[in-house]
Amino acid sequence: MPFPFSRPFRNFPPQMVFVNRRIFVLLLALASLRAWGAADSAPVQPPPKLSDETIAQAVKQDDFSVPTPGELLAALNKVAKPNWQAQYRPPIPTAYTSRPQIALNLGGLIADGYIAVEAEDSQQVKNIGKDIMTLAKTLGISESVLRRGKTIEDFAENNEWSTLKEELDATQNEVKLAMDEQHDEELTTLVSLGGWIRGTEAVSGWIANNYTEPAGKLLRQPAIIEQLRAKLAALPAKAHEDSLVKGLEPRLEALQQMVSFAPGTPPTAADVKRINDAAADLIQSITAKK
Amino acid sequence: MKRLLLRAILPGLLALGVIAPARLNAETDAQTNAHRAILDLAGAFTNDGFKLRDGDFTGTLASGKSVVVQVNLYAGNQYWFAVSTADAKTSLSIALYDEGGNLLKTEPFTTQAPPPAKGAGSAAGAPADFDPDATATNRAAAGYAPDLSGPYYVRLTNTSAAPATYCLIYSYK
Repeated sequence: MPFPFSRPFRNFPPQMVFVNRRIFVLLLALASLRAWGAADSAPVQPPPKLSDETIAQAVKQDDFSVPTPGELLAALNKVAKPNWQAQYRPPIPTAYTSRPQIALNLGGLIADGYIAVEAEDSQQVKNIGKDIMTLAKTLGISESVLRRGKTIEDFAENNEWSTLKEELDATQNEVKLAMDEQHDEELTTLVSLGGWIRGTEAVSGWIANNYTEPAGKLLRQPAIIEQLRAKLAALPAKAHEDSLVKGLEPRLEALQQMVSFAPGTPPTAADVKRINDAAADLIQSITAKK
Repeated sequence: MKRLLLRAILPGLLALGVIAPARLNAETDAQTNAHRAILDLAGAFTNDGFKLRDGDFTGTLASGKSVVVQVNLYAGNQYWFAVSTADAKTSLSIALYDEGGNLLKTEPFTTQAPPPAKGAGSAAGAPADFDPDATATNRAAAGYAPDLSGPYYVRLTNTSAAPATYCLIYSYK
């Protein structure tokens, strides 16, 4: 089979034609390599839209998909200058016997820790750190968490507010890890739930008293409560026997409707007040001694 | 005979899971490596005032496959989602979608492990595991500041020819 493009070289000396054929093959090889390399390094374009099925099947991981209370507080700081000390609550009891109730209150206390950090109140951070340790002890998970408690105290002593936010997140995960090790994995959802409710109570409380539309829009959190409710529903039957857990579900359903407003329809001041009342009512149940 | 025995016994051992623990350990090591690699990158964001979430999302993706994870973001905050593979020869792409599933324009950030400084060998402090064949995208990040609070979706795709173990983290401020 004649070599393609060899005809123009037919009057050239045979050695020269051979050289040109070799150059052609070399150029062809280089061009192929270049094309292959370009295909290899070309950025892969993501699809412009995810299907409903893909969205429905998206992974929802507790310590990744559920934001920390600190993220909600940070967002409010962008649209206002809240007086975070006004969102403190009186110290809560730390001698519960129900493990689900302890887990819910641990989450709430961690949210209190974020509020104290935003207020840059080292004494309050230390007080809350102590309460977290006391509650953790009642669950028998104090060893690993105690180390975190000491660290929180040190950071508070040195006013290291930025580091403290990460430390509180790490403490929450440490508590959950310890629960997993004690085969109390179902309680970890309750820690996240307690933290989310307390964070929502504090932020909605401030917005209700200082209403602006941009601040009100922050309270849109439909997927978080949907995920937490789904986890709550999946708790073992034993957990559902707890009167506190049993009473949470209808009130969470009502709260979900309140924080699931349409993107273009921010809540009114009255709506925010209703969200705050609902969250405060839940917190009151969670902290009440049985 | 020896070959025959190997052919007969090896699949059985694999099926019984006798060899599986070693593979599982290897995966755990890979996840640790991916985590370590991404924490290096996240340092750049924390230096800029971003708070790093303690939780991470790890796993292994076959070539060309994708995984989507839900996150919940608040309007006004700024976020960086950063991912690394365990193996510098593999690569991932990262994309962010809103709750309607629409692709969002994010601030891109791709990098590979830095090469050793000129004249410096690994003994002089250069990364001992630096691989000149590493892809340019084994660590990638996407930055976004939402106008709307709500659920968003992070999509990771393995763009390399081999399976990739990854670790995804995010930071906010």
